[in-house]
Amino acid sequence: MRPGKGRVMLFMCMLLAAMFVSTAAMAASPRIGILIYKYDDTYISTVRNALNKALDGKAQISMQDGKGDQATQNDQLDVMIERGMDGIIVNMVDAQAASGVVDKIKKAGIPVVFFNREPNLDVLKTYEKALFVGTNAADAGKMQGDIVKSIWDENKYDINKDGKFQYVMFKGEPDNPEAIARTDFSVSQAVLNGVKLEQIGETFVCNWDTALAQQAMESALAANEGKIELVIANNDSMAMGAIAALSNIGYNVEGGSKLIPVIGVDATDQAVDAINRGIMSGTVKQDGEAMGNAVSAIMLNMINGKAPLEGTGYKYDDSGIAVRIPYSPYVGK
Amino acid sequence: MADLPGSSSWKEWLLNYSLYIILGVLIIIVVIYEPNFLSTRNLSNILAQASTRGILALGVAGMIVYTGTDLSAGRILGVSAAISASLLQSVTYASRMYPGITEPLPLVIPLLLAILAAIVFCLINAFGFAVLKMHPFIISLGTQLIAYGALCLYIDSQANGAQPLASLDPRYISAVNGSFDIGFMNLPYLVIYLAICSAFMWVIWNKTTLGKNMFAIGGNPEAAAVSGVNVTRNIFGVYFVAGILYGIAAFLEAGRVQSVTTATGLNYELDAISGCVIGGVSFTGGVGTIPGVLIGVIILQVINYSLYYLGVNAYYQYIIKGLIIILAVAIDVRKYIAKK
Repeated sequence: MRPGKGRVMLFMCMLLAAMFVSTAAMAASPRIGILIYKYDDTYISTVRNALNKALDGKAQISMQDGKGDQATQNDQLDVMIERGMDGIIVNMVDAQAASGVVDKIKKAGIPVVFFNREPNLDVLKTYEKALFVGTNAADAGKMQGDIVKSIWDENKYDINKDGKFQYVMFKGEPDNPEAIARTDFSVSQAVLNGVKLEQIGETFVCNWDTALAQQAMESALAANEGKIELVIANNDSMAMGAIAALSNIGYNVEGGSKLIPVIGVDATDQAVDAINRGIMSGTVKQDGEAMGNAVSAIMLNMINGKAPLEGTGYKYDDSGIAVRIPYSPYVGK
Repeated sequence: MADLPGSSSWKEWLLNYSLYIILGVLIIIVVIYEPNFLSTRNLSNILAQASTRGILALGVAGMIVYTGTDLSAGRILGVSAAISASLLQSVTYASRMYPGITEPLPLVIPLLLAILAAIVFCLINAFGFAVLKMHPFIISLGTQLIAYGALCLYIDSQANGAQPLASLDPRYISAVNGSFDIGFMNLPYLVIYLAICSAFMWVIWNKTTLGKNMFAIGGNPEAAAVSGVNVTRNIFGVYFVAGILYGIAAFLEAGRVQSVTTATGLNYELDAISGCVIGGVSFTGGVGTIPGVLIGVIILQVINYSLYYLGVNAYYQYIIKGLIIILAVAIDVRKYIAKK
């Protein structure tokens, strides 16, 4: 027995019947659709909380989890547009796919604010109601480079006294622009500051993930124990993984005598705590709350037909369509 | 059965149409919450979103008929999508993967190469299954990793280092994402591609020796072999056809999302397998239909779409989706139990 023509017809009839009954409903407060690249990302969670708080009572929001998949996010966008959202806030999974997203929103004619992952700004310029709120990806790396310099100046971590820092690098993803910028600029800034660096092994690509970084660090330590003098990670989650591996063999233990400096990015609660306990050396704070507040204020301005930056205290950067939330280094209380 | 004849035929009707009833109930629930749901735009969105997954599912379905499965479908799609996208980057894009391509290629060349790559991986699976006698779950677990590694290497081999394959040729984007205006609604090309692939597969399954032998092997491999079916050849044939479908799905998916990364295709096989199973392709082998696969994939997409539409919390979405899949299959399985 198998579904024959009858059942297919029944199904088509059901959908066809559905199509002709279309009604429209208007909501009182504006409806804002928010597309997040992935819910379980510590930094993005702080932005999400800030968005929820800032928009509470001012708009009805519908937030979706892209689950780290651009195809899923595109599907979610279709739905939001179809639901008649008054504005869309997008945290791209894959910033390079922005042109398709902009085209869809442009057809709907509603304002859009991109944040965090930076699309090509020329793509955004094709639509007058598109803006970007982000950080300057290079800055996080540069601040890491500055932290490297201040650690070097403490003069206690050059184990083999060769005048160079032997370091290992943990990279987020192979093709993520933030990961690339942090990896490159942390090193180039440290070199610019006059610190000599030598990389041990290949760059570990650990998908921003603690467990993967711990595994990689364990094997790096097994191969090069005593030679690694510094750990630079694209984010705190991977830095925590490296610290876990180090503490298993007696380094970076609270109150212990041996410390290999570990530097991350994000200033997650866990990392800040680790820095305060003296088992991590520094991180760079990406201010999620400021990001969330800026994005929601700009979105509401655009929906209400005001100038986007009115009352926010922010200015556009050179591109004229992007706002940059500054980073700040964190090396302990 | 002790049931009255009337009640038994009523039950039978309910069982036969269970998938459609579930779909109908789903739509009614959504409409109660969001009357706006009933629009032609939503219909064409759902069908377009289901298209690439549907084509992938049409390929996986044959393997499930053999009581097998394919865990590598998603990653194979990733590799083929990367090939299509890399060859069809806009020739004015400075950091394209192949700066040597200065004249836009005809779309058919990347399509054929994408299909070729998918076929190669599928034939590895077929070899493991038919010749090495490995369970398809295991061999495809292996090829899945190999395909992922190949995808990462390919994306990383760009002159400027690893970056998403984007800025695609506008011809490509419009060939995939365009639509016909048929008066009362827009009919996306994607839906037409799905329809063509489905018709092709319907013919293969119902009108060719390949399809008929596939069901015979799926139902009882020993009996099929005894009655003179060349099992190995049949398996290679079915996997070859699946490779064609994967390649097409990959070509379309790259154009649909307009960017290919190392994450492209992740877990797509699970959607395809769920679609098949919801649509009544039985894991016990030998049972399944093309319309069933299509309905299964569409039900899955209606679930996805309506959960987004209702704005359900992302974590509840997983739970609800899991429950609906279990419910749908639990009901659907009844009719085969009754039959056996």
